[in-house]
Amino acid sequence: MSADSALPGTLTVGVNASRTRKAPAAGERGKWGRFVGILVITAIVLIPIAAVLILSFTPALGSTASGFTTENYVDAFTQTDVLTWLTNSLIVTLATVIVAVAVAAPAGYVLSRGRNRLVSGYSLVLFIVQSLPVVTSVIPLFILFAQLQLVDNLLGVTIIYVGSTMSVAVWMMAAYFDSIPITLEEAAWMDGTSVFGSFIRIVLRNSLPGILSTAIFCFLLAWNDYLIASVFLRSDQNKTLPVGLETFFQQNQANWGLVMTVAVVMMLPPILIFALLNRYFSVGGIGGSLAGR
Amino acid sequence: MSSDTITQGLSRARRGVGSGGSGRQAAPAPRKPSNANRMPGHRSRSATLLGFALPSLILLVLLNVYPVVYAGQQSTRNGDLLSAGNFVGLQNYLSVVQEPVFWHAALFTLIFTIVGVFGSWALGLAMALLLRTKIPANGVFRVLLLLPWVVPVVVSATAWNWLVATPQSPFPVIAQFFGLGNPLFLADPALAQVLVCIYKVWISFPFMMMMMSSALASVDTNVYEASKVDGAGPWQTFRLITLPIISRTTYISWILMTIFCVNDFPTIFLLTGGGPVQSTQTLVVMAYITVFQNYQTGPGVAIAFLMTIVLVIISVLLYRQIRKVNIE
Repeated sequence: MSADSALPGTLTVGVNASRTRKAPAAGERGKWGRFVGILVITAIVLIPIAAVLILSFTPALGSTASGFTTENYVDAFTQTDVLTWLTNSLIVTLATVIVAVAVAAPAGYVLSRGRNRLVSGYSLVLFIVQSLPVVTSVIPLFILFAQLQLVDNLLGVTIIYVGSTMSVAVWMMAAYFDSIPITLEEAAWMDGTSVFGSFIRIVLRNSLPGILSTAIFCFLLAWNDYLIASVFLRSDQNKTLPVGLETFFQQNQANWGLVMTVAVVMMLPPILIFALLNRYFSVGGIGGSLAGR
Repeated sequence: MSSDTITQGLSRARRGVGSGGSGRQAAPAPRKPSNANRMPGHRSRSATLLGFALPSLILLVLLNVYPVVYAGQQSTRNGDLLSAGNFVGLQNYLSVVQEPVFWHAALFTLIFTIVGVFGSWALGLAMALLLRTKIPANGVFRVLLLLPWVVPVVVSATAWNWLVATPQSPFPVIAQFFGLGNPLFLADPALAQVLVCIYKVWISFPFMMMMMSSALASVDTNVYEASKVDGAGPWQTFRLITLPIISRTTYISWILMTIFCVNDFPTIFLLTGGGPVQSTQTLVVMAYITVFQNYQTGPGVAIAFLMTIVLVIISVLLYRQIRKVNIE
């Protein structure tokens, strides 16, 4: 309800703001025209996200509060399992990011520095693997993990996330390593450094943007995953935020305020990460690494 | 054996790129005497590289290759989630292929993918071109427009649900205001299909925007000034200069987005659940529902494995194509 009134509100501000300035030259007028255009588009695109935010500050059904309220946030953290889900999501996601980057970085190095049949065969396998639907492997993995006691287990989903981020993570690392000239390593080898030593001390040291980019990608994948979590995580204390939010939504369809509060908790970490590290993230790397070999 | 090949690749790459490199050589010797004293030992080097690749190889085989092989086997059995069952040959495939729902799902997968790929590409490219021009607060828009892609699908599906689900939701009310009746997006099969496609474009266009922005960033602005001098209009400039320059990235982004769309599960499942009356089921959603809601493991795995076979063939062909594009 309030989303409707608030969004056109922001729009009017934008339109007025651009009208108050006089556009002397044609180019200048075009600039403000484009500004208004992109402002309108952005506003339309962001309606669903704005709705989540606004509803989370709107009083719940049967509440005595009116107008803007943080009541939902108090309720969400005291009456629901959102804190458990948040903790689970953080554990699973951070573990995935660390393990995936640690495994993908050396593999990406091999892909970047090695150019022969075996390495390009490896690259082809990576490409095929990432183009397959997750649904195919979920059932066999479920049967396997049931035998290993890894169903309804945070370690189990973490292992699967590492597996499903692997191919793209290796590419992204390889694409970044391609941009580091090999002459640096050669100099180190001349001084008697081993391949391992030069990889750690020269390549990795100069790869912070590549590592961050890969880490952000793995973070998004693990944080946002619904399919694997919904199949593998059964009990309430093991749920991650996506499954938690979905079941909570099914049970409390009318209570939009509370549902949207959980949604805000869930979307805040990825938004914060993008706001802070957005300049390090380049999906161009994905395309480049695909084409590069 | 295998480690030797890796090392050869490494030494070839090094000679190609390195300062004393002799460029591309057809048959590289495993160890060049001139290089021997400036490289770490042959054996230790290959062992290191094999060690580098090994953890990822183990994970790939265990978590990606093994399950697919197992799924292929399982699709010929009548088991369930807990027991393997008996061998039934191609019966699962036959029962799946004979259902009209399967072909409907296949068709909708195709429509969903085509709309998803080209819709998000067109919008993403338009935004990338717009953001390239001088606009106040350019960087802010750049980040804000990424949000649909950054926000978890569970969250945005919930939000879209709120926007369209009931007659009192904002979109039906707005539609009614403009005299379009009171459409129930999630109850009408055709409307639900349109809605799911729009939702997919909404989620995906930021990815395309990023891809296209990075491609456009490499374009030399002098080219545009030259074409302006030659009297080219904006459309001509776009068609004859911009499009050819970004064609390679465009091609790769289409491939990636096709893979994303065909394999997409949460976008559809969380917004419509495949309904109403299975109208928005794609093959992936159908496979999931068959296994986890109808408990027909055999047929469900058969659907997934059929997709897998098709995707493996397509991706091998595409992979070759990509490499060709790259060489040109």
